[in-house]
Amino acid sequence: MDATSFAEALDFAIGREKAAVDFYRELAALASFAVQRSTLKEFMTMEEGHVAMLSAMKARGGLELSSAIAVDLGLAKALAADEKPAAGMSFQDILVAAVKKEERSGELYVSLAAASLNPEAKAVFERLVAEESRHKRYFEELYEAHIARDN
Amino acid sequence: MDIKDFIAPFAVWKRAFEKPFTVKKPIDERPGAPRYRGFHINDAERCVGCGTCEAICMNKAIDLVPVEGREAKEGDSGLRPRVDYGRCCWCALCVDICPSGSLNMSNEYLWIDSDPDVFRYTPGVDKKPWDGAELGYRRAEGYRLLDEQRVPMAELGHREAVKSFLELVQGYSRAQAEKEADRCVSCGLCIASCPAHMDIPGYIKAVREGDLDTGLRLLYETNPFPEACGRICTHLCEGACSIGTGGDPVAIRWLKRYIADQVELSAYAKALPRAEPSVGKKVAVVGAGPGGLSAAYYLALLGYEVKVYEKDGEAGGMLRYGIPEYRLPYPALDKDIGYIESLGVTIKRGVAIGKDLSLSDLRRDYHAVYLSTGLPVAYGLEVPGDKHPRVLDGVAVLAAATRGEELGLGKRVAVIGGGNVAMDAARTALRHGAAVDILYRRREEDMPADADEIREAKAEGARLIEKSIPVEVKDAAGALAGKAALFVWNEAEMVQKEEGKRPVPEAIPGALREELYDSIIAAIGQGPDLSYVTEEDGVPMKRFKPLVDARGMASPGASPKGGAIFAGGDLVNDRKDAISAIADGHRAALSIDRHLSGKGA
Repeated sequence: MDATSFAEALDFAIGREKAAVDFYRELAALASFAVQRSTLKEFMTMEEGHVAMLSAMKARGGLELSSAIAVDLGLAKALAADEKPAAGMSFQDILVAAVKKEERSGELYVSLAAASLNPEAKAVFERLVAEESRHKRYFEELYEAHIARDN
Repeated sequence: MDIKDFIAPFAVWKRAFEKPFTVKKPIDERPGAPRYRGFHINDAERCVGCGTCEAICMNKAIDLVPVEGREAKEGDSGLRPRVDYGRCCWCALCVDICPSGSLNMSNEYLWIDSDPDVFRYTPGVDKKPWDGAELGYRRAEGYRLLDEQRVPMAELGHREAVKSFLELVQGYSRAQAEKEADRCVSCGLCIASCPAHMDIPGYIKAVREGDLDTGLRLLYETNPFPEACGRICTHLCEGACSIGTGGDPVAIRWLKRYIADQVELSAYAKALPRAEPSVGKKVAVVGAGPGGLSAAYYLALLGYEVKVYEKDGEAGGMLRYGIPEYRLPYPALDKDIGYIESLGVTIKRGVAIGKDLSLSDLRRDYHAVYLSTGLPVAYGLEVPGDKHPRVLDGVAVLAAATRGEELGLGKRVAVIGGGNVAMDAARTALRHGAAVDILYRRREEDMPADADEIREAKAEGARLIEKSIPVEVKDAAGALAGKAALFVWNEAEMVQKEEGKRPVPEAIPGALREELYDSIIAAIGQGPDLSYVTEEDGVPMKRFKPLVDARGMASPGASPKGGAIFAGGDLVNDRKDAISAIADGHRAALSIDRHLSGKGA
C-alpha cells in the first residue's frame, strides 16, 4: 500500500473495515443455526459502524480517534493461528476468529505506520493501531468472560 | 449505751458547713472501672447487622435499624443495633453473644442531657465521645456464648478416598445434627445470599426440634433437590453466616443433607404438599437438569401437565454427568428425581430437541416451553496441536465415568483449568490410578473452583502447577506417537497491568516447560448448545445466550405458532451453579403459571 496522504490512508482503513464486514457476512453464510447468525450479525454491525465512523472523518477531513493504546491481555498471542470457523462454529470459534482478525489488522497498521513517509498518513496509521488495539481488547475481554472462565 | 451515741450528733455539725464530697471531688476524676459496663460502642464496619444482640436482649432495648449510607449486601443486613437506655440494664449479654465481636461497652457512665430522646442512639453510627474507648466491658478472652467450632463431619481419609468412588462425606448423626443446629442464631443473613432464598433458619430449627417433616417441607418450598444440594451446593449461605464472622459458619449444607437423608422417599408424600387439581394446560421442559426438573416440580404442584425432554439416557444433567459419585452418589440424586416423577412429571429420556423433535413442535403442542439445556459444549484449548487424540474434554470424561465406560486415561494425566470441572476430572483420574497435574493459567487464589474442591484435589495427590499458559500439544515420539502427548506451557508471572482490574498472567520469556502425558484433559470452560433454536422461534439471543426478562420469559408466544418460551439455568444466568438453576426453574414455574392463568398479567 502506497498511502501518501490523509485521504488515501483513510480510504485504506475504510477498505479494511469493509473487508471485516464481509468477513462476518461470509461466516454468517456458513452458519447453521440462529444464535451463530445473531452473534455474527452483532459483530458485523459493529464493523459497519467503524466504516461509517471513518467515512465521516474522511468527509470532515479530520481524524478523531483516540491515541490511547489498550492494554494487551496477551490472549491473541496465546490462541492458535487461524482456523476458519465451520458450520458448527461455537462462540469460542467465532471469538477466536475475531481476536485474530483484530490482531492482524493491528499488526498491519503498525507496519504501515513504520513504512509511511508522509507524516499525515503516518499519523492516521498510528491512530488506527490504537483503534485496533481497543477492538482486540474488546474481543479478548469477551473471550475471558465467556470462554476461558475456568482458566 | 456507748459514749459514741452521745458524741455522734455533735460530729455531724463538724461536717455541716463543708461542701459535699461530690462537689469537692469532680466526677471526671472518678472514671469507671476498666471493665465497667458503660455505654455501648460498636465497630459498624465489623458488625454485620445480624440482630443477635436484639434477639438476646431481655428488655427489648435493642432494635436493628437502617443506617444512612449503608446498604444490605451479602452477609450484611445493612442494619445496625440502636440501644434504648431507658430500657437497657447493662447486663452485657448483647456483648457476650455478638458473633462478630463488634459490639462492646465503654467504661463511660456519665451522660447528662435534658432531652430524653437522645438516650436512644446507634453506637458506631451516631458519634459519641466514648467511640473507640479502649476501656470498658469486653467479652473475656476465650469466652463465647456461641460455639465457635462446627461439629466435625466424618469423611473418608484421602488415601482411602482415591481407591474408590465411595462417597467421601459420611453425614451427621441425629445428635451431631442437633448439636450443629444449636449453633444457628436464626439471624437469616443466609436467606438473602441463597439464590433460591431457602428458609435456612426454619429448617435448621426443625433439625434442632427433631421435626424433620417440617424441615423437609421447608426445603421443598424453594428447592426440590435437597439430597443433591445437601452434598454439592456451592453453599453461598455459609459465606454469609454471621457465626462465620467469629468462628466456623454453621454447616448449613450438611444440615440440609441430614433432613433429606433421614426421611425415606416413601414418607415424602406425607410431609410435602400435594399437587393442585389439573388446570388443563401442558408445559414442555427441555433439559432434565436441576433447573428443568425444578420448573417441572413446581409446575406439577400448580396443576400443570409437564413433560421433560432429556437428550441423555438418564435425568439429572450436570448433577449426574458432571459431578462424580464420590461427591453425589446416584441413589441420592435418584431420590430427588424420583419424588419429582412421583408427582406425575414425565421425563422423556434420550429425546434430543433439534434432532428427534423441534422446538417449534413443542411450541405447537404445549402452552409454554421452558429451556434449561445448560452448558454441554466443552471449549477447546485453542493451541497448536489441540486436536491430538490424547487431548480430551473434561465434561466428556466425567460423563463417560458416569456411564461406567472405560476411561483409559493412562498413568500420567494433565488437567488444564481451575474450575470445578477441572477438579472433578482430576479427582476422577486419581481414582483411576493416574498421577495428576492440574495446570492453571493464574494463581491458586484466582481459581474459580470451590476452595474445598481445590484443597481436596491437592490432598488426594494432584499436583497444582499455577501460572502456566498453554502453548502447544506435541505428539510423543517413537512408539508412543498417537498414544501420548507432550504438553508445552509457558511459565507466567502475574502482572497488574491496569489499576482496579485483576492481574494478568504474562509469559516469562524463555520459560517454556513440557511434560509427557498419557492424557491431557481440557477443562477451560463450557458453552451452550443452542442449535435447536431457530429464528422462527422468536427467541432473542445475544452472544450465545437467550435474552430473558425479569420473569425468565424469552418469547411471549401467543401467536398461532404456539406457546411462550421461558429460559433459565446455566444457559442464561452468570452463576453457573445448581442452586441458581434451581432458583431459575422455580421462578420460571411461577412466571409460566402467571402467564398462562392470566394472574398478575
